[in-house]
Amino acid sequence: MIHLEQELVALKQDVTEMWKLVISQVSNAGEAILTFDKELAKKVSLREKKVDAYELKIDRLCENIIALYQPVAVDLRFVLAVLKINSNLERIADFAYGISGVLIANPSVILDAEIITETNLRLMIDQVTKMLTQGLEAFENEKSDIASAIFSEDYQVDEINKSAARIVADYIQKNPDRAFECLHLFSTFRRLERIGDHCANIAEEIFFFIDAKVLKHSPRD
Amino acid sequence: MTNTRNIETNTNLSSPLGARGSLDVRGLTIDAKNVDFYYSEFHALKNINFEVSKNEVVALIGPSGCGKSTFLRLLNRMNDLIPGTRMTGSVLIDGEDIYAPNIHVDELRKEVGMVFQKPNPFPKSIFENVAYGLRVNGIKDKTFIEERVIESIKSAALWDEVKDKLNKSAFALSGGQQQRLCIARALAISPKVVLMDEPASALDPISTAKIEDLIHELKKDYTIIIVTHNMQQASRVSDKTAYFYLGELIEFDKTTTIFTNPKEHSTQNYVTGRFG
Repeated sequence: MIHLEQELVALKQDVTEMWKLVISQVSNAGEAILTFDKELAKKVSLREKKVDAYELKIDRLCENIIALYQPVAVDLRFVLAVLKINSNLERIADFAYGISGVLIANPSVILDAEIITETNLRLMIDQVTKMLTQGLEAFENEKSDIASAIFSEDYQVDEINKSAARIVADYIQKNPDRAFECLHLFSTFRRLERIGDHCANIAEEIFFFIDAKVLKHSPRD
Repeated sequence: MTNTRNIETNTNLSSPLGARGSLDVRGLTIDAKNVDFYYSEFHALKNINFEVSKNEVVALIGPSGCGKSTFLRLLNRMNDLIPGTRMTGSVLIDGEDIYAPNIHVDELRKEVGMVFQKPNPFPKSIFENVAYGLRVNGIKDKTFIEERVIESIKSAALWDEVKDKLNKSAFALSGGQQQRLCIARALAISPKVVLMDEPASALDPISTAKIEDLIHELKKDYTIIIVTHNMQQASRVSDKTAYFYLGELIEFDKTTTIFTNPKEHSTQNYVTGRFG
């Protein structure tokens, strides 16, 4: 194995570790909001710094590899994709932190179980967690066909979000005294929807790395 | 850039191919068709098909012994000097078969200049090194020679460094300066194609950068084929890259394609340093 390959393997290992951490952040943040588990929310908050540290480390590794080894072809695509995946993962973790922050900042907020069920909040949390996991699997195994499913799942996430917006609006009209809680609920949906978008961005980068295809700003089949 | 073409026209420094009235400078291409080359029994090049448009810079890359330098030397028939060699197929420059019986090799080499790995100035002054090609081609007009020498040295990005010492020995120059002097010498006789066989491999990074900058400038007026083992150099200077392996032309494409998304697995392994 040439030295560059060793560096790329080490980089992939770090990205994989960060990815797993981000998956657990999203999953825990979702579970915290579903169960009003403030302790779990605090755990997410505390681990946010670890995600940030990974982001800085991966950025530095990419910079070093480009400066010292001048990668080309698939190696260059890998490093460029990692730079963008890194940034997307960090943003996803920020959203997870934001979701958990709702509970920490508003400890008295208790959401109505009925609206949580009706808006499919759990389904949305499960969906984005699944998308993140599929992205990791595609990245680790270098299989773009695994990543391709993420695009249609992002569409489903968008649909859940749209539907939730209508349901929340109706609920506020009927229960104006719960508007504050509902705004927090809707902000959670908004964050989950953005996580879905970042997962789709990551899938695009996986296609770029593995198949040298640029899917950005083009219709996704 | 130089106006060497005009000077050439004015003084009727004849083109060996153009003398037969068939050269169209604007349409110049190198077109090698079905080329096979042998060193005695060794089959060094296998069915090479290779086409280059005018004013393109093409890098030939590949591991040692892959045939890239052999192919480069075919383009000005330098391999003719090696006993026991044999070529089949055709190499056309601007539509003319340079291996046709009526082609004079000496004349061909005026059209297809060459710069070698190590600077090889003559034991003469800087001025006379550049003037040499003109003098051996029978040009006696001192004013013309002086103009051409100055233009060539300027074209080789060497003028500012040697303008006050043109009569000093070429050996007094640094390695990088000597190499640019050799390029000036090649340019003085107005070739249409310049072949470069690892022109910067013996030079320090500053001199290498000057040679690479020079290649960018020269492509305005010349077609350049460069052999290099330096992948970064190939990617920096060339428009197209040809990857040779075991005597075969494996892949020939835009340099950006070769270094971002080569089609052949073998090319990818080579450019990423995994073998070769």
